[in-house]
Amino acid sequence: MSGDAKATRRADRLLRWYPKEWRERYGEEFVDHLEQEFADRSVYSRRTLNIAYKGLVARVGDVGLSNATVSAGGQTRAAVGTSFVLMVFVAVLALNFWSRAMGLWSSRRYHPIPVSLTTGILTVTEGLMLVVLVAIVLTVVVSAARQIRHGRARALAGPSILAAASGAFLLYSVRWVPTELYRYVHGYHGRPGIGWSQPGPAIAALGQTAWGMTQQWVALWNEPFGNPTSYIMMSDLVPIALLLFGIAIALLVRRVELPRLAERLGTTIVTLLGTLTGVFLVTYVVWLEVDGPSGNESFWPEGARAGGVYLVLLELVSILVGRTRWLARSNRYSSTPA
Amino acid sequence: MTNSEDSLTGLGRNAAAAVLVLSSLAGGDKHGYALVKDVEEFAGVHLPPGTLYQLLSRLEVRGLITALEADKRRRPYRLTAQGATVLAEYITAQQRILKTGQARLKRSWSFA
Repeated sequence: MSGDAKATRRADRLLRWYPKEWRERYGEEFVDHLEQEFADRSVYSRRTLNIAYKGLVARVGDVGLSNATVSAGGQTRAAVGTSFVLMVFVAVLALNFWSRAMGLWSSRRYHPIPVSLTTGILTVTEGLMLVVLVAIVLTVVVSAARQIRHGRARALAGPSILAAASGAFLLYSVRWVPTELYRYVHGYHGRPGIGWSQPGPAIAALGQTAWGMTQQWVALWNEPFGNPTSYIMMSDLVPIALLLFGIAIALLVRRVELPRLAERLGTTIVTLLGTLTGVFLVTYVVWLEVDGPSGNESFWPEGARAGGVYLVLLELVSILVGRTRWLARSNRYSSTPA
Repeated sequence: MTNSEDSLTGLGRNAAAAVLVLSSLAGGDKHGYALVKDVEEFAGVHLPPGTLYQLLSRLEVRGLITALEADKRRRPYRLTAQGATVLAEYITAQQRILKTGQARLKRSWSFA
């Protein structure tokens, strides 16, 4: 093998530290640059470490968590995508916390104002969170379907199949929800039904259903004894399906041609998601402080330690989402001509 | 803080290295390796390839430099008008600091 070919191979190997988009943009000139540097000084460990480190930083930037990015527009899309993946888990966790708070609130005969107020804020925040996430999914799915119909399906095939498969699995895992809601509305086992004109009992019923739905996801691999194996396997796979669904939508966010309005709203959406997570977190802590649990275990059945871990996770996510938003905004601002 | 100042301070720890790259390109278009050699010559600083390309990417995203048509595998970069303004403002601010420091050293410590 000639010296030139060896140098090119070495440079190509070092280039692999960088993400695909970066390699496509800078790969050729970077390899050329390295070949010239090798001619000056063949072995230099600090150079290798520098490339490895900056390559990893570029990979972190590729998912919107640092501003080492190839384009400002790409940064915003990466920020929305990464925030979405994080927020899918936050929404499930928050839905579980909210359903617990709502269940405890509706079982009380006397409702102290601070508890009612914090439960109300949790309800509105969680509702908005779900609306934003559903809006992202719908926008991405409609845009992807339109693009596929126009024969530009190639780049979208992988994430579309992943999103469809994981989404179908998630829907299958909650197939009992409509029946459950139907029972609540029309009454069962001698219990009277509720009318949707009565918001209190209706929201409480929604809370109960949401609790049943999310508990199997939140109680990660902590199944109670006695459940059929098929049910346990199904529940255990749900968090993985949730992660795959989040990643698939995040990939689609980066690849589909979104409507211009959605492009412009990128940083606003990330800001909104970060703010909602922060508000939810603070309100939940306040709810705990004003005796929202009313003597009950706050995080039953996982216990206070698991609850604490979940709260720290929520805080971490709101910081990460806030960081992606700040990076996307700072890059967009800096790229605006003076 | 003006938009121009923000363009450099937004680069954090890499702001000083960014000034070296902008100063090099102020002397004419250059590709990566020529840029490294020029910076070595006028500043005595070696920019490792990872750092250089991270900077080129960030400066390009911020519109301070622009990539020209590649000559085979070598792609030259050019300073934009916005980049020149940012560099000029940065140098003016640094000169003000230098002059103040020099004057105070001379007055209080009798350094020439």
